[in-house]
Amino acid sequence: MSEKRTGVFVCHCGNNIAATVDVKKVAETMAQEGTVAYSQDYVYMCSDPGQNAVIQAIKDNQLDSVVVSCCSPSLHEKTFRDNAERAGISGFTCEIANIREQCAWVHKNRDEATAKAIKISRSAIRRVARNKSLEPIAVPVVRKVMVIGGGIAGIQAALDMANGGLEVVLVEKLATIGGHMLQLSETFPTLDCSQCILSPKMVEVSRHPKIKLMTYSEVKEVSGSVGNFQVKILKKPTYVDPEACKLCDECTVVCPQVVPNEHDLGLTARRAIYIPFAQAIPASYTLDEDACLGLNPIRCGKCKDVCEAGAINYDMRPETVTENVGAIVVATGFDLYPQEKILEYGAGNVEDVLDGLQFERLCSASGATKGHVLRPSDRKEPKEVVFIQCVGSRDPAQHCAYCSKICCMYTAKHARLYKHHVPDGKAYVFYIDIRSGGKNYEEFVQRAMEDDETMYLRGRVSKLHRTKDGKVRVMGTDTLTGMNVEIDADMVVLALAMQPSKGTEEAARVLKIGRDKDGFLAEAHPKLKPVESVTGGIYLAGCAQGPKDIPETVSQASAAAAKVLGLLSQATLSHTPTVARVRNSHCTGCEMCVTACPYDAIRLENGKAVVNEVLCEGCGSCSATCLRAAIEVRNTSPLQVNEMIEAVLSF
Amino acid sequence: MINVQDIRDTARDLLAKGEVRAVIGWRAGSRGMAAEPCVITKPEEADSLVWDPTCYHNLALNLVNDRKELRHAKQSPGAPIGIVAKGCDARAIVVLLQENYFKREDVYIIGVSCENSGVLDEKKLATQLKGFAPTAAAFAGDDFSVTTAKGENKIAAREVMADRCLECRTPFPKENNTALGEDKTGRDIEPQFAALQRFEAQDEAARWDFWQRQFDRCIRCFACRSVCPMCFCDECVVDSIEMKIAPETTAEEKANRIRWVERSATRAENATYHMTRALHLAGRCVDCGECERVCPVNIPLRLLNNKMEREAREAFGFEPGASIGGPSLVASFRDDDPGEFIR
Repeated sequence: MSEKRTGVFVCHCGNNIAATVDVKKVAETMAQEGTVAYSQDYVYMCSDPGQNAVIQAIKDNQLDSVVVSCCSPSLHEKTFRDNAERAGISGFTCEIANIREQCAWVHKNRDEATAKAIKISRSAIRRVARNKSLEPIAVPVVRKVMVIGGGIAGIQAALDMANGGLEVVLVEKLATIGGHMLQLSETFPTLDCSQCILSPKMVEVSRHPKIKLMTYSEVKEVSGSVGNFQVKILKKPTYVDPEACKLCDECTVVCPQVVPNEHDLGLTARRAIYIPFAQAIPASYTLDEDACLGLNPIRCGKCKDVCEAGAINYDMRPETVTENVGAIVVATGFDLYPQEKILEYGAGNVEDVLDGLQFERLCSASGATKGHVLRPSDRKEPKEVVFIQCVGSRDPAQHCAYCSKICCMYTAKHARLYKHHVPDGKAYVFYIDIRSGGKNYEEFVQRAMEDDETMYLRGRVSKLHRTKDGKVRVMGTDTLTGMNVEIDADMVVLALAMQPSKGTEEAARVLKIGRDKDGFLAEAHPKLKPVESVTGGIYLAGCAQGPKDIPETVSQASAAAAKVLGLLSQATLSHTPTVARVRNSHCTGCEMCVTACPYDAIRLENGKAVVNEVLCEGCGSCSATCLRAAIEVRNTSPLQVNEMIEAVLSF
Repeated sequence: MINVQDIRDTARDLLAKGEVRAVIGWRAGSRGMAAEPCVITKPEEADSLVWDPTCYHNLALNLVNDRKELRHAKQSPGAPIGIVAKGCDARAIVVLLQENYFKREDVYIIGVSCENSGVLDEKKLATQLKGFAPTAAAFAGDDFSVTTAKGENKIAAREVMADRCLECRTPFPKENNTALGEDKTGRDIEPQFAALQRFEAQDEAARWDFWQRQFDRCIRCFACRSVCPMCFCDECVVDSIEMKIAPETTAEEKANRIRWVERSATRAENATYHMTRALHLAGRCVDCGECERVCPVNIPLRLLNNKMEREAREAFGFEPGASIGGPSLVASFRDDDPGEFIR
């Protein structure tokens, strides 16, 4: 090896590092290392003068590699690699020694921390001595994006991106777009009609020349990587041609099969052939093959007989469509925490105990009772209604540890809506505390208490049961007065926790993107990358990422759209060249790396592993799995790892 | 109970019809009572095959060596090779198939069931015989019939059986082309991991002290590695001194050889060697116990391998060698993995 000339730059990070680590000593000690030609320390290496010092030192001292002892590489690796490039050497000959998060911040003893900072820096110097000057891999970009989920998040993201000039494929698993927002009656804090503000956006989606809408479809397989994903979408048969359907509704009249209507959460029924609701997009009927008496062989056939437009076709078959896209936005939303799991509140078996979404359908003008609040058991107007907050939320022992964030607000909204429908009724709300942060939110809750005379009781409900006279007895505590409270209510509404939807689970599996401890999709950084997933080119929007209300969902969807527009505005993307490489002489073709690779980047050719460099993210799973040391990640070779370990062990 | 003549007939028949190019089996050894592995290629050699409690060897190793021969001579396999396989041998073959070492159609497995028995532990037998040298051993139902200069002795099999056989649950080779003997899968002579449990009853200091004594003894003869059918790598991570140089080996690779473990047989290096081997066998070791049997300094290596096996079973419900299509332990993960970091 020709003589290495490494430069070491030790950052004080103000006092973040310098308070615990003797940075001058680190810089001086590193100057003694055999391969080090230059060493300095500086108060803020990432500041403009700091960066210029790095560039100047590389030029003045003919450095061929750089170690910056500073914060985590996730923060400034790119900064200093860019500096290396600007000074005329490969960015991949620059490595970060993390002496802040992994040293200064976790130690108190100055001598020990300094000794450790020296070891960390030394190990990076030994590593960089064997780093190769690599060239980034150029990846062509497909200027098309897929949005998974047709709720408000997916709709907003799709519209923003389509208006920005991108081709958009919007995939929705149900027969219509709209999502949960369309089930809502009114929205807080303005009490404007949810359907009225959403349906124009739905129409815009259906008419937008750049949006290809695929409803009743599911994403089955995703391969490829940022800039070029291949997506297999299963298009389920609706058995109705939306172009031909005249929406005359004759088919539902003759259909003999009656099943619960999902859109009204089972409060009403629909036929096997149905349109989810009048404003559905696409405006067409769907034949639910699970509910139908039988299509193969045809056991009824009445709908087809009665359809004058000839829109019904029993021969439709599932179809798999492949789309090439450059980026993916996941907006797969939430489900309510199942009422069955709340044993103390009857596990869903007590009549007139509803969840929040069911109550929305009772209030909605298009809902089960045409906008009259009537309780399901006897269709009478309930005169006393108890709303219970935090059902399933904030309960780490039994249910979800997290706060579902929107329940305080929508319970206040429910109480107000109820009072507007039944002015002589009494509304009670059991709460733990009220979280009403947000523009005009606190005022909204105050109005629920003052204008609409809702009785707020601070405490939890221990249990409830049905009484003989057809009421629901709610037994709770008011912790402010210290009294036990018993209310014989006509109806109870539970503010159930939000949990990741089934579709969110499925999307995480298919896209191989991480989930957090509660099962929501994990963002790449909780503060600085809130709409990026950990996988490049996959973005998150809406409640799939965590509980949020409509304004926040729309903001996140637009943010994700902006990210995608930025990404796909480039002609080519550059992919990191620090990817896996196979040593053919050692590969036995055992296929373990193929199974271990989370990115499907490795396949077997002629009995040897072959890496697709564009797909490889350089995570090193293959290298860790290989028993034969036959696969390694560039610039993290076993030899480098070995030398880093030796440096840390001070051999 | 298997009649050895059935094994011979099967082998003869396969060779005569040309369905296999050779049969790997056991024949009478040249020293004492112990059988030895053999490869027969002619029908008339079939009568030399034996089946008795000294058929210790895991013949999957010979299968690996056959494959290496072929590759070295740049020959294609042609007709499959036959192999007489006990339960543990067959499990090892399954792991090799999982790892694509050869194809299923390249092997013809003549399964032999150990039924309620297993192979001998020569040390246990020597204690029982009180100094008399055994000259022959045979299966006799739940007993072994052992011949010495003083005549024939009936000894209860469980008194002198190898530990690995006492704990064995799958004495029947499930993966086979033809099988002889009764399927006694699930038999329960001694609790599984019994030896490990006895060992783990000690406190940590005692256990560490124990392993220090074991690793001190190791002479790094590598018999454990040589006898293991799973240690099939051409170049082992522990010996960089004999780095295999193939035509495609680049100068960089030659320069980049790494010495993770020193050759010197010191305690720390020995410990590193044995622990590396145990980790490389996690989810692959089928507990044939050959490493422990061949160790010239009596290091109880099954304790290390059993520990890994039990961890894999308890954490992931993983059974090495259970089925060819199954996942491998270290290369797969489940969506419902209890570890949060992996989801």
